[in-house]
Amino acid sequence: MKNSSRTMLFGGIAVATSLLSAPSAFAQDITLQFTNWATAEQTTQAGMQEVIDAFEAANPGIKIESQTVAFSETARQLVLRLRSGNPPDVAQVAGNDTFVLAASGGLQSLSQYADDAILGSLKTGSFEAFNLDGEMIAFPWNQAPAGFWYNKEILANAGLDPENPPATIDELNSAMATIKAANPDIITLGLDTTNRAFALSSNWPWMLAFGAKPVGEDATGAESPEMLAYLEWMRSLAQNGYIDPGRKIGEFRPLIAQGQVAFLWDQVLVQGVIQSSNGMDNDTFNATYGVAPMPAGPSGQGYSFEGGHQLVMFADSEHKEAAWKFIKYLSTDENAAKVYTIGTNRSIPPAAEFEDGEVAALLSTPVIDSYSAKIIPTIAAQPYGADFAEAATAIMAGVQEAVTSDIPIAEIAKNIQSQLDR
Amino acid sequence: MSAKLNTRSSRSLRGKIPFLDWMVIPTLIVLFLIVGYPVVSTAILSFQEYNLLKPNPPEWIGIDNYSDMYADRVFWVALTNTLIYTFGTVFVSALIGLGLALILENMTGRFSSWINAIVVIPWAVPFVVVAFLFRFMYMQNGGIVNEVLMDVGILSQPAPWLNSSDLALPAIIVANVWATTPFFFLVVAAALSGIPDAVLESARVDRAGIWSTLWHIKLPFLRTPLVIGSLLMVIANFNDFAKVWVMTQGGPGYSSTTLVVYVYRMAFENFDLGYASAIGIIWLILLLGTAALYIRLLLVRSS
Repeated sequence: MKNSSRTMLFGGIAVATSLLSAPSAFAQDITLQFTNWATAEQTTQAGMQEVIDAFEAANPGIKIESQTVAFSETARQLVLRLRSGNPPDVAQVAGNDTFVLAASGGLQSLSQYADDAILGSLKTGSFEAFNLDGEMIAFPWNQAPAGFWYNKEILANAGLDPENPPATIDELNSAMATIKAANPDIITLGLDTTNRAFALSSNWPWMLAFGAKPVGEDATGAESPEMLAYLEWMRSLAQNGYIDPGRKIGEFRPLIAQGQVAFLWDQVLVQGVIQSSNGMDNDTFNATYGVAPMPAGPSGQGYSFEGGHQLVMFADSEHKEAAWKFIKYLSTDENAAKVYTIGTNRSIPPAAEFEDGEVAALLSTPVIDSYSAKIIPTIAAQPYGADFAEAATAIMAGVQEAVTSDIPIAEIAKNIQSQLDR
Repeated sequence: MSAKLNTRSSRSLRGKIPFLDWMVIPTLIVLFLIVGYPVVSTAILSFQEYNLLKPNPPEWIGIDNYSDMYADRVFWVALTNTLIYTFGTVFVSALIGLGLALILENMTGRFSSWINAIVVIPWAVPFVVVAFLFRFMYMQNGGIVNEVLMDVGILSQPAPWLNSSDLALPAIIVANVWATTPFFFLVVAAALSGIPDAVLESARVDRAGIWSTLWHIKLPFLRTPLVIGSLLMVIANFNDFAKVWVMTQGGPGYSSTTLVVYVYRMAFENFDLGYASAIGIIWLILLLGTAALYIRLLLVRSS
């Protein structure tokens, strides 16, 4: 009896000791909240999860809690979470959303983490835009600039040279007329004319091509002759039936894959969407589709916009070192670039060089060559910031009025300006 | 007689036991918390400049948000669109619902219950699904509406239903009428079944015709349910966000922007909570005014 009591006593002490020590063992596990839309979209879900699993395997003490959010909901949800004191540790962001979050003051500066060695390994032009007042607000994850996609078969069928897409807007106007005459059912030019911040980002290079700069630094306003010329051109596109107003850019992607769109103003990732839609192999794809810089406008130049994704860390994160490790892994690890950035998202990693020959081979395609050599150098800065979304509502509402109504262009421009001044 | 006695007895009871009046307090507290507090907060915010993107705290600016609103062209466009959307929908769907209920009132036979069920089906479809359905049906290229209208020769080329500043709002109203007509059908059908047989029998004995019976007997019975139904639908349509947002997001331009869409853009795209609150307060006042008018109509009728 005595022995059994002693056994129970020692057993109890052993259990208590193990229970007391257990929390400290568990406490070493860190869970990072990662808000992203990569796991929300069917085409990128599996690739993203594979990269997260690989990161967790390489970093046993860190778990990733992936929080799915729709692309269009990202800014709204993150700002509301930030204001209610519940932001994630890391988030995937893009376009104006990055600068909106920075304006709200909730982002952790990455300057202390991104040292010269790591910045030196990135391509020039891939990260500089994310330096605000000397602080790095976001780290580049991938580059996805917009290019002028064209369907070579449609051009050839209309009697145009499939290897020489229009280089100026005058040539584009002429090519669109030829294509429309040859095949009236084709959507000649796919442009995003919805009313949202992304649509202004997408249309901004076209405005610049006309010399128009309705808002931002050195703005010429909405009533400038250049802006009027841009709006007149947009109206002519609609009146001639060249564009299909009201569609989001994503709604054109399945259509170009089915051969129903001649020209499309879209990002590098379109190749992946087309091939996953119509099952084309690389050779057939390259024989059917090509991408070129935007045709030069009256300003004498064509432009592009950076639609790539970035990673941000929130100032309230309690695990900043682990969060940085995760950011660095997603952005610069060669396997992550191979599996997700190139393999799944079909975008361009920000790293300047890769040791793995397989990654370099994946990046050596006609599409990425065209982007790297001709399109990326034409990327123009956008007037991103806290007021961009409001400006986008006013400007894109005016663009929509230009393409869907008979309201005089001068009146539309005046209305845009009055909304911008409000 | 018995109902009268009961009423009298409960009134006298209430007079004698003041404790019963206090029983309403828990309900009032809950109402204050879930309705009163947000309304008061919104009213206070409407006098402040408060943007979620700016780290500085809300700043008191008096009536600036309201004077901005007065000068804001889009606010007036949104208000006009809201009134057209709300009253256009309620008027047309009430008329169609009334007509359908009267036509199907005396229908008998094997298929009558099936026909009634089919008429009610749109009411069971979630509004977001209605919006997506009509968005695809209205598509300029490949939409079924254009295909059918071109097949029967009404249109020679596809109409840009949701991509035209002139057609977008009427097109959304048509979708909304389709979705809300069954509500009026149900309300009127229920009211028709409540008309005493003796009254209708007397009309028949007096050789009253169909129109005379409808005008002098049925419509007076239907007035109260129609007024109540219309009030509910005015409030519901004034607040209807899903259909407009899914189908056009208030576009093209501002041609289908309603107040609720404008408030959403201000609050959750521009994060300008002060201005959005000011619009919300005007919106609330308009709704309260409309509700008061309807209730007054009911009271006048009762007295």
